Amino acid sequence: MKLPAPPTEDSFRSPLHHPRVATVIGRWLAAAVVICFLTGLFSHFVQETSAWLHIPTRPASLYRVTQGLHVLSGTIAVPLLLAKLWTVYPKLFAKPELKTLLERGSILVLVAAMALELFIGYLNTLQWYPWPFPFKQTHYALAWIIVGALLVHIAVKLPLIRSHWRRTTDAVPESLPPATTGLTRRGLFRTVAGAASLVGISTIGQSVPVFGPVAVLAPRKPNVGPQGLPVNRTAHDAGVFRIAADWRFTISGPQQLSLSLTELQGLPQSRSDLPIACVEGWSQGAHWEGIRIRDLLHLCGAPASSRVRVVSMEKGGFYATTELPPEYAADPLTLLALRLNGGELALDHGFPARIIAPNRPGVLQTKWVHRLEVLS
Amino acid sequence: MKTRVALIAFGIGFGLWGVWLMLQSLEPSQLIRLPLWLGGVVIADDFVLVPLTVAVGWLVTRWSIGPDHHRTVGAVRTTLLYVGITTLIAIPLLLRQGKGANPTVLPRNYLRDWLLLEATIIGVGLVVFVIQRSRLTLRRSRASSGDIGGR
Repeated sequence: MKLPAPPTEDSFRSPLHHPRVATVIGRWLAAAVVICFLTGLFSHFVQETSAWLHIPTRPASLYRVTQGLHVLSGTIAVPLLLAKLWTVYPKLFAKPELKTLLERGSILVLVAAMALELFIGYLNTLQWYPWPFPFKQTHYALAWIIVGALLVHIAVKLPLIRSHWRRTTDAVPESLPPATTGLTRRGLFRTVAGAASLVGISTIGQSVPVFGPVAVLAPRKPNVGPQGLPVNRTAHDAGVFRIAADWRFTISGPQQLSLSLTELQGLPQSRSDLPIACVEGWSQGAHWEGIRIRDLLHLCGAPASSRVRVVSMEKGGFYATTELPPEYAADPLTLLALRLNGGELALDHGFPARIIAPNRPGVLQTKWVHRLEVLS
Repeated sequence: MKTRVALIAFGIGFGLWGVWLMLQSLEPSQLIRLPLWLGGVVIADDFVLVPLTVAVGWLVTRWSIGPDHHRTVGAVRTTLLYVGITTLIAIPLLLRQGKGANPTVLPRNYLRDWLLLEATIIGVGLVVFVIQRSRLTLRRSRASSGDIGGR
């Protein structure tokens, strides 16, 4: 039996496999990649809390917006990447030539890195990690490889991109006219934009509560959880099972203070309306009550702008100890929160005390805090 | 030419930086298995998802050659594409339904929501299909009745 011949570049007859289509969809995909990369970079540096980089505490909801955008742009990049791959699919069957080897190599890197990046990024929003490598480090390194391969790809294709940047009319239609096949280029663009919008609208509700009811493909509902707020790491997962009756909170600075929960409750309380905004893209605003960190610093004789180490009672995990940069400690919105949405903190939200600060990722809003150490 | 050289230089620089980060943060056993995953997603894209789209597109175009089908092919194609892309996004949610790390992860009934979403897409597709077809019938009846405006 003779096997059918493999397809060649000419086997694909649709006039939509065209450089103009690739240029337009490529532009959209590139925009999504740039937004995703920059917001991802921001998230990376915010989480690093390195001494040399000063992240502003305002706007208070900045991280909520950037991380929501990060996950949104990544999600809508899925249909855009598929549309782009479909458009240029015939090229996969072009005869291999030595001079195009570098070009094809860079495209292989780009496609592999981008497809894996979107795949693991999306599964991370479900907190599902079926792969044998660490998510955060791989996701970050792949991002640089994608941007690098994309720049090489743009450089190689620059003449083609330039000549198809604006609409051109083909003198000779290459295949069946659109009247017969029913899909014009503009029709294709509309359909792809529609697919991206559909995916966006059905997932964005996890960060934008207005769209909550239609967020049928979102891994989170922002108002589901104890006290109307979702949880990433439960008290059980963190190994915090019960809080002893003689629990005490300590702060070490120029003076050492040790306070019971009742004594903490007796200090002047402040209110902050701040969101929990998670790296997985979901976010939800909440009303917090507690003691300003700068008031606590004042009590122990430290200046408001001090670098503070926050120590949690949680066991294991990367964020049992975090650092609060000086501008965050001094911000009047930053609290050692004792109450959430009108009630005492639920154990899953960090009872008896947690940090809540503006413009910070959820992983750094440390829960079950029992110690603050003034570092400088 | 200068632009292209600069782009390539920066591109290779960023790419190598990414590779270096990868070598720094992953253990050898993980580095060995990473290419399998990179290869796996390329196979999933280039030899499953895109060929599937090409094949379905080919079938739809073939069907559209039938009498009057070209009027309604838009509704058929768009509906199929939207059902496909939303289902692709829904697959991990359906697989992990009820297996969230805690009750606030994946709290929806994703099977019900996915079915509702697909029913809505197909419903809207059907309405557009019927409208497009009835326009066609209307035009034809006007044409056959000798109305000059019809074609």
